[in-house]
Amino acid sequence: MEIDVVGRAAPVRDVLAPAPQPAAPGRSRWRGWLTGYAFVAPAVALFLLMGLYTIGYGVSLSFAEWNGFTPTWEWVGLDNYLDLLYRDPGLAPGLHRAALNTAVVMVVVPLGTIVLALPLAVLLNRVTRLRGLLRSVFFLPYVTSGIAVYYAWRYLLEPEGPINFLLRSLGLGGLARPQGFLADPATALPTLIVIMIWSAVPVAMLLYLAGLQSINPNVVEAAQMDGASPARVVRHIVWPLLRPITAAIVLLGLRDSMQGFQIFLVMTDGGPAGHTDVLGLQAYHLAFFKGLSSTLGLASALGWMIFLAALALTLLNARTLRSGR
Amino acid sequence: MTGARPLSSHRRAVAAVTAVLLALVCAACSSGGGGATSAGGGAALEMWTFKRTHLDALKQAAREFQRQTGVAVDVQAVTPDDAFTAKVQSAAQTRSLPDVLEVHAGGEDFRIGGAGLLADLAGDFPAAALGRFLGDTPRAGLVTEERKRQVKELKDAEMGSLFSIPFTAGTFGIVYAHREKLEAAGLDPAVPPKTWQEFIRYLKATTGADPRRGGLALGLKVSQVGFNWIYSQLAFAHLGKERYQRLFARGAAQGFASPDGAETLALYGELTPYWMPGTTALGIDEADVAFAQGKAAFNVGGTFTLAFLAQNGVKPGDLISFPIPPPDGAKVADLRLAPLALTGLSVTSTSGDRAAAVKWVDFLTSPAGAGIFAKAALDLPATDLGADAEKLVGADLAALQRYFTGPADSTFDAADGTFRPPGYDEAKIGPVLLKLSPLRETDPVRTGAQLDAVLGDMWKSTS
Repeated sequence: MEIDVVGRAAPVRDVLAPAPQPAAPGRSRWRGWLTGYAFVAPAVALFLLMGLYTIGYGVSLSFAEWNGFTPTWEWVGLDNYLDLLYRDPGLAPGLHRAALNTAVVMVVVPLGTIVLALPLAVLLNRVTRLRGLLRSVFFLPYVTSGIAVYYAWRYLLEPEGPINFLLRSLGLGGLARPQGFLADPATALPTLIVIMIWSAVPVAMLLYLAGLQSINPNVVEAAQMDGASPARVVRHIVWPLLRPITAAIVLLGLRDSMQGFQIFLVMTDGGPAGHTDVLGLQAYHLAFFKGLSSTLGLASALGWMIFLAALALTLLNARTLRSGR
Repeated sequence: MTGARPLSSHRRAVAAVTAVLLALVCAACSSGGGGATSAGGGAALEMWTFKRTHLDALKQAAREFQRQTGVAVDVQAVTPDDAFTAKVQSAAQTRSLPDVLEVHAGGEDFRIGGAGLLADLAGDFPAAALGRFLGDTPRAGLVTEERKRQVKELKDAEMGSLFSIPFTAGTFGIVYAHREKLEAAGLDPAVPPKTWQEFIRYLKATTGADPRRGGLALGLKVSQVGFNWIYSQLAFAHLGKERYQRLFARGAAQGFASPDGAETLALYGELTPYWMPGTTALGIDEADVAFAQGKAAFNVGGTFTLAFLAQNGVKPGDLISFPIPPPDGAKVADLRLAPLALTGLSVTSTSGDRAAAVKWVDFLTSPAGAGIFAKAALDLPATDLGADAEKLVGADLAALQRYFTGPADSTFDAADGTFRPPGYDEAKIGPVLLKLSPLRETDPVRTGAQLDAVLGDMWKSTS
């Protein structure tokens, strides 16, 4: 009977079996690679099919004219990009106006989200009773967000809707909008921004709450013992420590503001008279509302310009984040 | 060895599931392009429409068609418009288009047909067969020199090709009003307004009687409807055909900023105090629904609007209807509105049973088929129903047909785009007019200048 190195007796069948030949190092390495590749192959194939192919298709389309029907594309080089940026007087001015609205949304939505989410998270962090319930209540807008909620908002914002009714009932009729909040050029975009902030606050608040709970309480306690007021604690200790989370929230807000257009499509379709037109909506209109004209290439080019702008902002954000560490 | 048996049965199960899946995929693939077989063993066709309001009526006609010919037709509605577009585009790529499509006439048919996806029906519907249709509607799907110039996608299409047969027809610029609200405002519903000024007086009366629910509904979220359904008819009547068309000319000295343009824009601006609150946030259907719910006294639409209002619970007898009235001293005092083909029927070039598909289109546009459709949908078919019209679509809708015929110079033809820039984009015109009324952000003269600038850009874009 053979005895192994730790003193255990080897089973009889192992003793009788011919001793295994050590595998050649090259073969073993290949087998390892093949096994690894076999495991990742489905995911890679899926990415190649759904991701890379789609991306390649989209990029190529942005250099072509096509309406989705003809068997061939008409290559136009950079024309789609140049037409959108400045060259086509029928396209560029509308795009510039939409870009301006998008920029406003991009600045105000993340800012408003932070302004509301941070104090809410700080308050929620201090509450000991009913914290779970309150967290659920505050998270509700995120869970319920979607097309149905946008329709509900439309109902609330109508001329004879509950918001105007409430304002009139409270003696604040001056704040009511006789045309409704979405049909009035002065309130349409601000109203949509408020709804976007309302949708974004829950996730931001949860992120902040997680961040707050990860802060070492000794640091806060030390500051309090040194006589720092709650506001100073938030300003000089909590806020700097939450900076990475703030950066993430800003990034999410920028992405939503730049690429999301569902709310604009459902609630105003860019109206009244283009006052709520944004870049994402323009791309959607170019793709599907031009009477089947050959504008899919233009829509794709606009989509890629939005992507490049988003990418630049992401890189900028990542750089800012690194430099702050 | 003991593990081999379960593995084998597992493999068999996998093989069986794979076979079933493959069979399902094959079945799904074979259904595209039609030419399939119905449950009863006869031929079966597939048809897609973008009009939900047409679905039941088409199904009713399909049942009669199957009774007569044994050919079953599976009709599907794909809505809204963007979903229909995306579905047709993807089906075009996978060559799984249905046998028959109902499309917007005079546009979509050319763009799909220009890509070689629609059959040329010129041989199937010779001139004699086209005599059954109203006015100029049979020409809606015809490739002409003018259309080749206007629609880039037609560059390779053969002259004289016919990509669609007109199915529904009608016109825009029809005003509907609740009798009850007119009476409540002290107006006589039996005497509709004869002039624009009278119309404004009526609006003033109804909004005076009920400021919140007495105005004019129109789905201005689709901003161009103000221009297409009210302003164009008004300006045409006020200026006459020639001066109206000159407003759109390249580098027009007589453009919208001219006295002619400013005058007509000022007339349109008179509507401003009387719009239904919030109408700029409503789509066309939503505005119609609001009108049906009694949130407005007046509604502007087309001949097709009555069917939608009826589906939303309005009794046609409770409404009065009249075309946009011409202003006092108008060049065209007796305005006529040419019927245009609103939707057309196209047979796809991928259809597996072209003969049956053509037969179905022929049936649908025959007096019998169109009659079944008209009665069920309460929509005007492009087929001239003659004396049967009143029996089939009701007295009110049939009565509107009297505005279809008249002298050419007094007839506003919404389908005539020959005087506009190629690639004319009405979606760019709408917001400018919206800023004049109801938004009051600008005045008629500045609106005229902005319209000229937008049209100038369109001329430049296509030069």
